[in-house]
Amino acid sequence: MATTPDPKAPAGPAAQPGRYLTFTLGAESYGFPVLSVREIIRLCPITPVPRMPAYIRGVINLRGKVIPILDFRAKFQIATGDYGDRACIIVVQVGDSPSTQTLMGAIVDAVEEVVSLNAADLEAAPDFGGAPDTRYIMGMATIKGGVKTLLDPRKIFLEEGTLALPPSAESQS
Amino acid sequence: MDSSRPNPDAPEMASEIVGKMGFELAFVEEGRDSGLLPLNSLLMDLEEYTVPVAPPQLVQGIGTARGWLEQILDGTGVFGVDDIRNLNAWHAWMTEALGVWKKGAALPACPPEWIPGTAPAAPTPVAKPTTPVPAVAATPALPRAPVSPPPASPPVGPSADEPAIRLNLKDDADLLREFHGESQELLQNIEQGVLVLEERPADSNTINSIFRAFHTFKGGAGFLHLDALRDLAHNLESLLDAVRRSELQIHKGIIDLILAGADTLRQYTAEIGVQIQGANAGAPIVVPTRQLTQRLKAALRGEAVPASASVPVVPPVPMASTTPPVPVPSPAVPAVPVASVSVPVGDPKAAEPGAAAPRRDTAAADGASGFVKLDTRKLDTLVDLVGELVIAQSMVVQHPEIQRLADSGLSRSLRTLGRITSELQRNAMSLRMVPIRGTFQKMTRLVRDLATQQQKQLQLVLDGEETELDRNLVEELADPLIHMIRNSADHGIEMPDEREAVGKPRLGTIRLSAAHQRGGIVIRIEDDGCGLNRERILAKARERGLIAPDAVLEDPDIFALIFAPGFSTAETVTDLSGRGVGMDVVRRNIDKLHGKIEIQSTQGKGTAFAILLPLTLAIIDSLIVGVGEERFIVPSLAVRESIRPEPGSVKTVHEKGEVVTVRGRLTPILRLGRHLGIPTRSNDPSEGIVVVVESGDDARGLLVDELIGKQEVVIKNLGQTFGNQNLLAGAAILGDGRVGLILDVDTLVKCRPQGAAPVRAHTP
Repeated sequence: MATTPDPKAPAGPAAQPGRYLTFTLGAESYGFPVLSVREIIRLCPITPVPRMPAYIRGVINLRGKVIPILDFRAKFQIATGDYGDRACIIVVQVGDSPSTQTLMGAIVDAVEEVVSLNAADLEAAPDFGGAPDTRYIMGMATIKGGVKTLLDPRKIFLEEGTLALPPSAESQS
Repeated sequence: MDSSRPNPDAPEMASEIVGKMGFELAFVEEGRDSGLLPLNSLLMDLEEYTVPVAPPQLVQGIGTARGWLEQILDGTGVFGVDDIRNLNAWHAWMTEALGVWKKGAALPACPPEWIPGTAPAAPTPVAKPTTPVPAVAATPALPRAPVSPPPASPPVGPSADEPAIRLNLKDDADLLREFHGESQELLQNIEQGVLVLEERPADSNTINSIFRAFHTFKGGAGFLHLDALRDLAHNLESLLDAVRRSELQIHKGIIDLILAGADTLRQYTAEIGVQIQGANAGAPIVVPTRQLTQRLKAALRGEAVPASASVPVVPPVPMASTTPPVPVPSPAVPAVPVASVSVPVGDPKAAEPGAAAPRRDTAAADGASGFVKLDTRKLDTLVDLVGELVIAQSMVVQHPEIQRLADSGLSRSLRTLGRITSELQRNAMSLRMVPIRGTFQKMTRLVRDLATQQQKQLQLVLDGEETELDRNLVEELADPLIHMIRNSADHGIEMPDEREAVGKPRLGTIRLSAAHQRGGIVIRIEDDGCGLNRERILAKARERGLIAPDAVLEDPDIFALIFAPGFSTAETVTDLSGRGVGMDVVRRNIDKLHGKIEIQSTQGKGTAFAILLPLTLAIIDSLIVGVGEERFIVPSLAVRESIRPEPGSVKTVHEKGEVVTVRGRLTPILRLGRHLGIPTRSNDPSEGIVVVVESGDDARGLLVDELIGKQEVVIKNLGQTFGNQNLLAGAAILGDGRVGLILDVDTLVKCRPQGAAPVRAHTP
């Protein structure tokens, strides 16, 4: 079980060359390793879960499975507004062993494309001076003149998605 | 659920069904059809359980309601004012009549105007005193002890040379059938294991699994008093045990012995199969085992085992004589645990034709209801597909184009479709859920036998037998439970004299209970015996090299040692409790179900094992409530009633908590919207609904905006993302395909929203 993010925790593994799915959030472009992406679905009605942080949007029914949905705009403090027509949910599979593997989803503004990145395209994550969000960054990629931030799905979903919320004081018996 | 058998609990079940019907009736509206199908299927249940055993007045009453519903279904398809009034009157009458029936008193006649036909006076002889129906057993907590006579002492075989076994078909038919089925699987496992051993003789996993198979075989045979069979399995187990402990080097001769043993067991099994099906019933079964036993003992002493060539190999099982061969479905890839469930064959809708076919014949020959083993994945797929079907069906029915069509033929067909769909869904859902009763009751027999065998005085107290759980959970639980109860009887409960000496009653008690608990099921096995002996456990663990000689351990860690493979504190090896293989297997089985075991033990006072199982798939009846724009699911079990508070009836106490008086009781109110941080439609309680929920002795009124409906839902786990909150017990997919969240009633009742303590609810 992950606990409250520790700012001193080491960043995840460095980005490896390979294929990445890129998507946009606001004006920025990001990428996930394609291997962890299970599917991309249209935005669908999300059931909000009460008393959760804003970046936990709620849960959806994915063909009979109940999966949590993270809101990356809220997570990265990108100005929130209504999601447009191109918004969709990227469903990823995280977890190391078959018994801990789970499906989780994230809302993004738009899915761009799958790109092949080789070692020359990759750079290590810059040091932003201990800002907690760099912990999810595996590296940066410069392709076609644009910079894409490569995220570590394992870190971002498992550490942020596994909430260690203390039961609220009033609901303790 | 076996509909052909009159159920002794019929009055109870009928009351429950009628109660549910009352719930449905509350939602019925004039000019709408909501509730019609549920009422119809509930009435079908009522007919099923009640009609064969009920007095004529009740049957008549049920017939009346049937007539009304048929009329509505075949006619307008929606409720009229009269229908609603009639049904409500009927419900009131039925509730009262059932109450009378339960007491065994004479029943009131049903109102004459309900009787179809012309002459209202003639048909029912007014209140003719019916023969009182035997009252329902007054002690639900106590197991209904099987009334079979104590098992006969080991029968003496006709041949003095070879031991014989005799089946007690009269009392043990079901158990024997189960044993027969299980044995075939075990034998298959053993044979597969032997094939692996021939390739890799030192494979310890395989040796262990063959060992366990023999062990289970021995347990089953011992349980059924098939002594010759048990002894043979015991010897085979000892052989494997020696191999497992590396006291014996495995070689070709031993592998041959294992195979010969398995073949002999198979011969027994085949004979048992023949007798179960009615041929030669009761005849002693003699299979030559003497020579084999001698070889086994020789092998155990480490003497050279004659090679297979020089030994008359037991011929392959001559199954064909009287039995049609029972093709055992070849197990799936060994890596996949073949979790399978049994489905009564009697219901062809339920059984997947392909899988059912091979065993049909034997089941038919059997005359009784048979079972098919199904891969649970097939069942899961079926349940999922039925869920999708229900949603698709409602989408079709509610499609505006369809609704515009005023074709009576079409709407009739759609109603039929709806009826079939909901029936199908109910069936599919129920396929997976069974009460744990069957498994629990098997334990009564076990405890009785254990008591006889060990000259101890034992009683088994059962509780929560009606708890329903996933069929494969029930199946997988039987084995661990047997082991644990044996353990309690063997090592836990002391001899009567010892008990008396320490001031305990001579009669030792083992309590077996099941209950739903927050997000899971907990099964407890408690005994009032001597408790776990830390020192002895530690000593044994050191002796076995399980822990370092100087290790210092806390109690829970010490207790956990009893689950280590090859650990046992039993001084002697008995055929029932074995060599400590039990607890090892128990933990493996529970692990497989993603459950865990907790032990509490006080020396001298007793031991309690709690098996906690996740609610991977369970179905509950639920009430769906609306709060603002959101919907929440409240388990019906926890709901006592729901009321719309009168304006001004909600009072504030001590300027803190709000209370409302429900049936003379002050009930604290929790504004659900406020508690969950959801804007509600109105702040005025009298515009909302108070749903009174209970947890233990406490009650609380949840203030919601509206009651949306009632639905059976499949509980889904919310996963680790929400593992740390206690507000929600899970989630479920609602009729429109969206996720609904299931509220955790325990938390809601116990929390203190505005500092007000919950008021004790007093049972009137």
